[in-house]
Amino acid sequence: MKLSDALRAELAAAPRGTRCPEVFRAEGYRAHFGEPVALLRARGIETLFTKTPPHIYPSDRIAGSTAGLFCEPDETLRKASERLCAQIGGRSFITNRDHFAPDYDRILARGIPGLLADIDASLDAHREDAAACETLDAMRIALAAFRTMTEHYAEAADGLRGQPGYDAARLAFIAANCRAVAQHAPESFAEGLQLVWLCHTAFMLEDRYAMALGRLDQYLYPLYARDRASGALTREDAVELLENVFAKIPTTDVVNICVGGKNAAGVCEVNELSFCIVEAVRNCNAPGPNLSARITRDTPDEFLDACLASIGTGLGYPALMNDEVNIPALQRMGYAYEDVCGYCMVGCIENFLPGLQPPWSDGRFDAPRFFDYIFNRGVSAFNGSVGLDTGDPEALRDMPAFLRAFETQLSHGVAEYCTAFACQNSAIRQDFYTEPFLSCFCRDCIRRGKDINCGGSVYPSVHGAALMGVGTVADSLAAIERVVYEDHAATLSELRDALNADFEGYDALRERLLAAPKYGNNDDFVDKYAVWFLDYLSAEFDRFRTRDGGRIYVAMAANTSNIWAGETISATPDGRKRGKPLSDAASPTYGRDTRGATVTLNSVSKPDYTKAACGTVVNQKFSPSMFEGERRDKLRALVRTYFRRGGQEIQMNATSRAVLADAMEHPEQYPTLVVRVSGFSDYFVRLPRAVQLDILNRTQHE
Amino acid sequence: MNKEKSAGDPAIRDASPAEKLLHIANIQHFSVGDGDGIRTTVFFKGCNLHCPWCHNPETISPDETVLRYPGQTRTERCGRRMRAEEVLAELLEDRDYYEESGGGVTFSGGEVLLQADAAASLAQKLRAEGISLFVDTAGCVGYEAFERLNPYTDVYLYDFKTASEEDCARVVGGSLARIRDNLARLLADGKRVRVRIPLIPGFNTSDAASDAIIRELAALGVTAVELLPFHRMGSGKYEAMGLPYAYRDTEPLQKAEAGRIAARYARAFTVKTEG
Repeated sequence: MKLSDALRAELAAAPRGTRCPEVFRAEGYRAHFGEPVALLRARGIETLFTKTPPHIYPSDRIAGSTAGLFCEPDETLRKASERLCAQIGGRSFITNRDHFAPDYDRILARGIPGLLADIDASLDAHREDAAACETLDAMRIALAAFRTMTEHYAEAADGLRGQPGYDAARLAFIAANCRAVAQHAPESFAEGLQLVWLCHTAFMLEDRYAMALGRLDQYLYPLYARDRASGALTREDAVELLENVFAKIPTTDVVNICVGGKNAAGVCEVNELSFCIVEAVRNCNAPGPNLSARITRDTPDEFLDACLASIGTGLGYPALMNDEVNIPALQRMGYAYEDVCGYCMVGCIENFLPGLQPPWSDGRFDAPRFFDYIFNRGVSAFNGSVGLDTGDPEALRDMPAFLRAFETQLSHGVAEYCTAFACQNSAIRQDFYTEPFLSCFCRDCIRRGKDINCGGSVYPSVHGAALMGVGTVADSLAAIERVVYEDHAATLSELRDALNADFEGYDALRERLLAAPKYGNNDDFVDKYAVWFLDYLSAEFDRFRTRDGGRIYVAMAANTSNIWAGETISATPDGRKRGKPLSDAASPTYGRDTRGATVTLNSVSKPDYTKAACGTVVNQKFSPSMFEGERRDKLRALVRTYFRRGGQEIQMNATSRAVLADAMEHPEQYPTLVVRVSGFSDYFVRLPRAVQLDILNRTQHE
Repeated sequence: MNKEKSAGDPAIRDASPAEKLLHIANIQHFSVGDGDGIRTTVFFKGCNLHCPWCHNPETISPDETVLRYPGQTRTERCGRRMRAEEVLAELLEDRDYYEESGGGVTFSGGEVLLQADAAASLAQKLRAEGISLFVDTAGCVGYEAFERLNPYTDVYLYDFKTASEEDCARVVGGSLARIRDNLARLLADGKRVRVRIPLIPGFNTSDAASDAIIRELAALGVTAVELLPFHRMGSGKYEAMGLPYAYRDTEPLQKAEAGRIAARYARAFTVKTEG
């Protein structure tokens, strides 16, 4: 059996006991009651890192697991520990806790001892500044505990020698690598990968979700190249080591890994390690490692081919990201060009500057909701929500007047959204909820002596507003323009009655609305509204700032919320029935783009995505045969052309309708069928039925 | 970024009233089975053959064809009279994709050459735009039709279904002599021709049938063939047209069987199997 298969089998065996990180964390808290809160938090991290038993799987070559959190503690102790941890509290997603890409560059260059020395130097520089000293002391405690954790892994590997199932050579390899990273900066690829994975393991012990590995092919490349040149490492060995790591990413997590992309000199940085990573992710065939490939104009064909071949297995990874759009988009946000070129993604597709800004947050903006308020004087008859009263709709004499009313509604909705976000995001006292370990992975926290969320980072926090339903909105506006203002086939009052009745008794009107031009067919009559959608909403959101002065920028993405949001939204003027899904992400409404992939992408590339600095999701479905042989060349040309025309992202499903339909009928036969969902992939059979149907209904090309 | 005008609205009002309209069944973008690169295929309406396995039955009649798919309220009407400028505007939408992929436009059908004059005027415009043109034909027309298109056609995709005069007349409804002569003349005129053979179970897949085709083509100096294994993707269209489909119960050709036939052809030609 292949080592990676053996490892997967070991991972599949559920650990015994209850997962209780609180027990390990509370021990540190209890020993240090009364100390300043930053130090207290560091003490919790200290016991969490040093008391949680290291766990090494028999087939591990790179160690690091949270299985040690599973134990069988005294029930009273467990409950009391949970209460204590809840009292002391911590940040949540909306208060910038996770969805972060660490500054792995620096810890690889400096090593743990180097970073500890940096903290000591900063302590010296901030002698007079008590607050800074406290922050730095907390970082030091956390980082020193992390070093101890690496030593514990080395000792555990030694201790397992001779145990059944364990291999002495592999254990010695783990022990040596873990010991090395405790003592100095990594000097080999294996040491570097071991250090990165232990950092990630530590973040998982802290219960952080969606922590990105970022540009793994760039920051590990110097070590990779050195080992390859000396003959110490083969390509196959590197792939096996990577697979050994990726297999351990929980299938419920979304750990973004970014490959490719260009540097500040404009040179595409694809290297041999980029290929190894694609291969390892492909071999893993699991949802956890969420691979993103940054594509530039001069990305080699062979690399794009390797990406397409991986996507074509059905896995859907990597998503393809257009550097030529993302880089100018991020520059618009005021970031330095050199920093922008180092961008990666966190979570699904969200653009992020690794180690330069606090953890990410986002929310969803369901734009199609706002038609309801125009028609019903600000009060939804369907879902009990309230917007603006923009007056009697009959007074909207022409299309520009209607569009102005819709803009007024959206503008009000954006303000409502940003108010709610500001309240949630600022609901905590920032300096009370410090992140001593995470701060070690963000510039310039150490040098400034400041926490990551309290002015330590180079750039302020950003918030992403995911705009949902571009297709639904564009189709609706086009239908109103055509049916109401051009053909005079219905008044706005009649349209209101039809929408409120969910088209019951209005079949003829609905047919007319459905017959109006639809987004995704390269028809400017409707596509102009998609262009307007991004222009208008990105500008509206840009009027607001985060608590520390950062930007609120937009994504054209929905995850799967287009389905759940759709359930609460009344019928829309595009002919969509009440409760049905909104159009997905930046894609046209499924089934309405009828003229072929090129034409769909001609529409989809019209909006100016340099205004969507957060990112875009465009789901396209192709038959599996498109990913093989000559047809793959054609698919590659399709992607290149779409990107040249200004497309920002494309992700592809390659599983045939027949297979998906069969998997819905017989889920027991498809336990490992992975499909592209949205900004991530997942096991098809564990998706909710509504999501399965949404994927099944995507327009399939060839 | 490249923002282009949509189809439909470019200035198309100035064509002369005498211009012959094209009768088009369908225009298919991102066509990947009809020649090099990414192509847009224009399916012409009307065919003078009646191959019983045809997967585009809606293109056979020269009149409008109505398709009524089960479970759908709306009917589909196949057949549109279009001006060359109008078709051209739609074909130009994908110019960027043709350039990136080395693709272009393919005329298919139906039988393109039954509308040779109208097709030639569109082909001429494509040539003026520098866009590659492939023409897919069954070849059972007078050679003068080819002569109208020859100046603007980069490659002919030339169907060759049988080497039996009798089968050709009875099953397909065409003249083998004419198909063979046209092929010979195209080659003699120096045109690039890719001979394509549909592999139809029970019609031309026996060793004897294959060998007869091989002999015919070799005698004409053909050096390469493309094999198109039978599929029944078109069966839904027959249903929608209310017609029986003679091949409804014929299984798609197995990969192994297609491979065996391909090996036979490979003794005489360079072989490519579409799939």
